[in-house]
Amino acid sequence: MKKKLNLAPAFFVGPHLILFLVFVVIPTVYGIYASFTQWNLSGAPNWVGFANYHTILFDTSSTFHNQFFNGLKNTLLFVLLTVPPLIILPLMIAVALSHKKVKGKTFIQSVLYVPGLISISAAALIFTLIFNKQLGITGNVFGSTVAWATHQPYAWITIIVLTIWGGIGGNMIIYRASISGVAEELYESAELDGAGPIRKFFSITLPSINFPLIYTFVMTTAGAFNVFGQPLMMTDGGPQQSTAVLMMYIRQLAFGSGESIAGMASAMAVLLGLVILVISALQYYVMNRNTN
Amino acid sequence: MSNQVMNLDKSAVAVGRKRAKISVSQVVAYVFLAALCLIWIVPVVFGITTSFRSQTEVVSTGFRLLPVNWIMDNYTAILDNTSTAPILRWLTNSIFIATSHTFLVVVVISITGYGYARMNFKGRNVMFFTLLGISFFPGVVNLIPAYKIIDALGWVNTAWAMVIPGLAGMGNIFLVRQFMLGIPKDLDESAKVDGASDFRIYFSIMLPLIKPVLIVCALFSFTGSWNDFLWPVIVYTDVDKMPVTAGLLLLQDIYGNYRMIGQLMGSAILAIIPTLALFLFAQKYFVQSINLNSGIKG
Amino acid sequence: MLKKKLGALITGIAVAATVLAGCGNSNAGDPKTITFWTPLTGEDGAYMDNLVKEYNATNPDIKVKHVVTADMYTKISTVLSSGKGVPDLAIIHADRVPGYVKQNQLENMSTVMQAQPELKEDNYLPQAWGAGNIDGTQYTVPLDIHSNVMYYNKDLLKKYDAESFLDDGNVTVDELLSLKGKLAEGDFAVNDALLSWVMLAQVQNLGGDIQQDGKPTVNTDIIKTAIEDVKQVNDAGLMTPFGEDGYLMFQSGNVLFSTDGTWSSTAHASVEGLNFGVTNVYSVSPDKFTNRASSHLFAMFNNEKRSDEKEQGVAAFLEFIRENSIEWAKAGQIPASKEVVESPDFKNYMQSFFTTDEKEIESLYIYTYEYYPYVAEAFDTYINDLVRGNTPIDEGLQTMQKTVEDKIAEANSGAKTDGK
Repeated sequence: MKKKLNLAPAFFVGPHLILFLVFVVIPTVYGIYASFTQWNLSGAPNWVGFANYHTILFDTSSTFHNQFFNGLKNTLLFVLLTVPPLIILPLMIAVALSHKKVKGKTFIQSVLYVPGLISISAAALIFTLIFNKQLGITGNVFGSTVAWATHQPYAWITIIVLTIWGGIGGNMIIYRASISGVAEELYESAELDGAGPIRKFFSITLPSINFPLIYTFVMTTAGAFNVFGQPLMMTDGGPQQSTAVLMMYIRQLAFGSGESIAGMASAMAVLLGLVILVISALQYYVMNRNTN
Repeated sequence: MSNQVMNLDKSAVAVGRKRAKISVSQVVAYVFLAALCLIWIVPVVFGITTSFRSQTEVVSTGFRLLPVNWIMDNYTAILDNTSTAPILRWLTNSIFIATSHTFLVVVVISITGYGYARMNFKGRNVMFFTLLGISFFPGVVNLIPAYKIIDALGWVNTAWAMVIPGLAGMGNIFLVRQFMLGIPKDLDESAKVDGASDFRIYFSIMLPLIKPVLIVCALFSFTGSWNDFLWPVIVYTDVDKMPVTAGLLLLQDIYGNYRMIGQLMGSAILAIIPTLALFLFAQKYFVQSINLNSGIKG
Repeated sequence: MLKKKLGALITGIAVAATVLAGCGNSNAGDPKTITFWTPLTGEDGAYMDNLVKEYNATNPDIKVKHVVTADMYTKISTVLSSGKGVPDLAIIHADRVPGYVKQNQLENMSTVMQAQPELKEDNYLPQAWGAGNIDGTQYTVPLDIHSNVMYYNKDLLKKYDAESFLDDGNVTVDELLSLKGKLAEGDFAVNDALLSWVMLAQVQNLGGDIQQDGKPTVNTDIIKTAIEDVKQVNDAGLMTPFGEDGYLMFQSGNVLFSTDGTWSSTAHASVEGLNFGVTNVYSVSPDKFTNRASSHLFAMFNNEKRSDEKEQGVAAFLEFIRENSIEWAKAGQIPASKEVVESPDFKNYMQSFFTTDEKEIESLYIYTYEYYPYVAEAFDTYINDLVRGNTPIDEGLQTMQKTVEDKIAEANSGAKTDGK
């Protein structure tokens, strides 16, 4: 794009653009380049064209093909299982907290936000103990006799519980801030028209927080696609690879204990990036169109 | 916790009596929030109390929310180990890193957001969404080139490596831009007619209006910077300069196991205190009526 | 009002920037310091710190600076690719040596060995020394052997009259199976800690291997037999249930035998009332027992800036370790130096069991196959499901074999350049 004579935009957008080029574009381009190579991270990459992509997408007997599709399937499952609660639950909390007569908002908000501050390894350890049959709650309080980490659907439940427990804080804050800004008069006039709380929610609250909804939906989804910490620590991908998400395979190929297979890992990462891109664009497009 | 809820209920009842009416929606809201808080707080309490248990008690069968014997040994062990795991030092480093990062994020996102929302230049939106799209690519092997860049800049083992790269993020700018798009144009146009420069408009009109969204972004940046653990492990080798999340990883043994469960919990609890304090402080700002949809109340 | 705030903000940034600028690289490339990286997180790092401190207290010409890193191998990749900040000395695991040597990233130890004549094969446990020898060139000097071992709960063994299992040093699968039906509810004969290491040991017990002529052999009858035999223990209900933390169950006194590592002894000792001892990992064969081991090895990554003087310093430090690594025994590990393991002090440590005679020393088996890490990853990923009967053994072994072969093919970059 051509620069206009007016240099003011360059002043406002330029500094960030430079940072973006240096710290995002260069590494990303390098990562994409690496996806067309065989590379062990330390030597020089060896150009192989589309060979990695061909293996991953079409060579059905290849380990990498199976890993990619199993990982993608599990990642999609994780997205489907966690994104809706990570949107709906914080929204319900924010609505409940916006109720004029509810007291102790600060306290409630803090309780729900704190888990997000606990480091993932400590949080995972807490839940590993809680879901432990001998030491935890599920076995001793609820009498469950199953080892949760190695049996489905419990393995997924442990991952999802940890994710939701630690993940609702951010969206809750955004919805809180958005809803508390919706003009009071709108609700009052709706009340005069005899609208109940549910109608007020759907006809006033939701339309008013349109952008925050799109924003959180897109960002939460993109974040969920990058998951690996929770399954790694709760189930280590088991049982039978049913919770092995794509990012776990990618990281093991690139940074596992054997010689790095970074070219293949990059190709998987690029494909994952494309999936995220398409889905985010669709989300943005559909939600924006529906509300405009 | 249960006391607190009871107090809440009492005051709610008192308010209800005054108005001689407790609405159904209020009851529903309370029940929902109380149930959620209870579920959310049990693991936290369990984590905290575990930090006061001996290893013997951690592995003894049966679930107890509270320890039988409260011991301080885990904390004294954590605080005594100042050579290989100087946790107070790590906390100081983290506070410094997260604070500097947050300051700069606020500056960068407000200026950049203004550029993408309020200024007219060719290809503005295309450029914005292109950058946003690029930022969605997961960086895995990007670690190597990113490290090389940091190394070329001479930032290995310095706080720069933690503070600067994150400023390139797009998420917060997306939020700020959208927020600014919702602010009526006539405000800055009338200022422009009066001969105000873009910087003047940004500084004296926009900045005060976008304060709420900046507070939210600041909170997220602070928490994000605080909790990042993959990157600091790579850019720090000096144990005295590390932030606390990278440091906590040094407490695991080589096979990723924690031999001393109580000590890990204690360290994790110490590590959340500063972010928790910031949250409690920031909270009063976004509970004030602020609007993320547009800057002006309707 | 606003101006005041902005002023404060700018001051804040200025202060931040100044302080940031102050944090320069202080000790990079210091000619009088050996930068020494280790992956020894947790308590191990503290014991190594003590050793380094003791060494520095002897006032050597060049002091050692010990740096513990949480993700050392990734970090090694980053510094090797940028060529700056490569440590002077590092500790790596035995299974990493062939890979690094193949990529030409390790300097050999000849200068170091010349500088200190006692740094020689005869003075170390043979397999620890041998792990650093590739095609006749010595690339590493060993610190220790750390092994998969089997702890036993003395009280439970007495209770179930199983003390005789320990007689010949070989607890066999058949002996474990004899406990079937005798254990109280909630008690188990053995847990599944480090199960993939246990299985890698069984491969040796049956006279098999994971490679033949450099090609991986994971899908073999021997490995199948080994899995079937251990699976019997699981099927008899004697193994802690899949997914439950067998390690913690041993600590809470519900498991007779725990197959974890030498390094766990310190944690087990911190549990009050746990009366435990250590022996060899159980075997599917009555004739042979094996403890799958690894070794921490001192290595020097290629670095042009490492002066000869520094290599002399490294040699002096390694000689000090050879003579004084009894401190390292506190971490639960078996020092590789013969002088240390033969000293009377070492007898006070539980793991000295493994150096009592030649047969015990031989039982510590370190895999040195070039692609062992891929094989180990496959074992880690799949072996639990096979032993637990979740996946048919034949199908699982096929997948494992294929996974290893595909990774090897991909890692041999250059061999396959005809990209489509």
